Amino acid sequence: MSPFPFSRLFAVLALCLLAGACATRPPASDLNAVAAYEEANDPLEPFNRAMFKTDQALDSAVVKPVVRVYRGIVPEGGRRSVGNFLRNLRSPITFVHDVLQAEPERAGTTVARFTVNTFIGVLGLFDVAADMGLPHHSEDFGQTLAVWGIGDGPYLYMPLLGPSTLRDGTGFGVDAVFVDPVAWYSRGNNPYTWAQWVVFGGLVINAKDETMFATDELKASSIDYYASLRSAYRQIRANEILNGEAAPMEDFDEFSMGSEPAADAPELPQTTVISNR
Amino acid sequence: MISRRHLMLVSAIGAFAPRLAFAQASDAGALIAQFAQKGIVEILAARIANAEKQTRFRDLFKTYFDLPAIGRFVLGRYTRTIKPEELTTFTPLFEDVIVYTWSRRFSDYNGQTLKVGASTPDGDEGAIVKSTIVGNAGENYAVDWRLRKRPDGWKVVDVIVAGVSMAITYRNEYNTIIAQQGGFAGLVGQLQKQVGELKAAQPA
Repeated sequence: MSPFPFSRLFAVLALCLLAGACATRPPASDLNAVAAYEEANDPLEPFNRAMFKTDQALDSAVVKPVVRVYRGIVPEGGRRSVGNFLRNLRSPITFVHDVLQAEPERAGTTVARFTVNTFIGVLGLFDVAADMGLPHHSEDFGQTLAVWGIGDGPYLYMPLLGPSTLRDGTGFGVDAVFVDPVAWYSRGNNPYTWAQWVVFGGLVINAKDETMFATDELKASSIDYYASLRSAYRQIRANEILNGEAAPMEDFDEFSMGSEPAADAPELPQTTVISNR
Repeated sequence: MISRRHLMLVSAIGAFAPRLAFAQASDAGALIAQFAQKGIVEILAARIANAEKQTRFRDLFKTYFDLPAIGRFVLGRYTRTIKPEELTTFTPLFEDVIVYTWSRRFSDYNGQTLKVGASTPDGDEGAIVKSTIVGNAGENYAVDWRLRKRPDGWKVVDVIVAGVSMAITYRNEYNTIIAQQGGFAGLVGQLQKQVGELKAAQPA
């Protein structure tokens, strides 16, 4: 049970009322539709689909053209360095959450990586640490909340930020305001208060550059890209929270072996990958 | 890594079954290596027309994958409620979607190889085989294969790329379409349209 059940419920209700955009629950008699509705866990679907549409429009009008120019100017090695630099800048956030998740070994890796890459890897431009057997991993407040036993909650889609959930979106906000050293720096009394916006822009362009191939493929193989992206996002997060360990799937054969399904067949367990809900 | 001593210890306490499972799981790894080898030599690197590559891939896919089982998994709960003839309409359409989705990209093949890694037992008498696609610029992609033992040997039932399962993604997407866009007939109509589009997008 989440320690904040009421605030979470309240937040969802407030969003629903503000946007006037709650999904209609299918009638209780349609068991399959109810199951699909609950598995998707997307009560704000009409609102999210509108945000998704906005995001797709922004994508083709602004983000993708910028990425194309970026790819035209900066060669692949340079773009890899930009990604390394931004990842290195995020290390303090990962470190805080390694600690909050009681993972001392991973916290040590994060510190070692940050030190090596900042000083030997020229301010993080080169991932020297990975070649030394210190692979990169990323943590955030959303993952910490998951480790603390808080379910991912309703799905949430935001333009530019992309797919998220109530838990992960909250985590993102908390990290961006309270944990991110770039944010601390930007709030300080200095002439570089725009630093956080530059880094944010860099993150958006770099993320699009790194994921464009995969998301374009997913889009090409989908009929309802919104639904397949929602599924892929939940799976990627579940995988990150388990730190890359594949969850065994017990129920694959429930529909697979018998040719004639029994009328009183047992209920299908919730899909394994999102069982941390 | 399982050491010899560890194995001896395991057999000493009489845990024969897990050892058997591990031995079988390594057969699953051999099957994936064989699938990749055939796919690369006979399809991706072969100097044949793309139409011939599609035909060969369809045969290879149907031999190494348990397509009917994947189809039933993807339809999830709807497998129980649809008519048998509806399932007969769905399975070949789903097969076309996968064949044409994959074959769109055959001409991009550029010498990548598949490195087969460890196999572990999975769930209901199955196995997961870990592997890595190694590109020629040193870039790596993690691919896990989920297999089930059938009377005629191991069959692949799912491919998991960077933590995303093909079967689960299709299942969640198709269940949303069935629930929101005209039921099972709606899904079939959409699949027919998509197959037409994918066919048109094939390289010559």
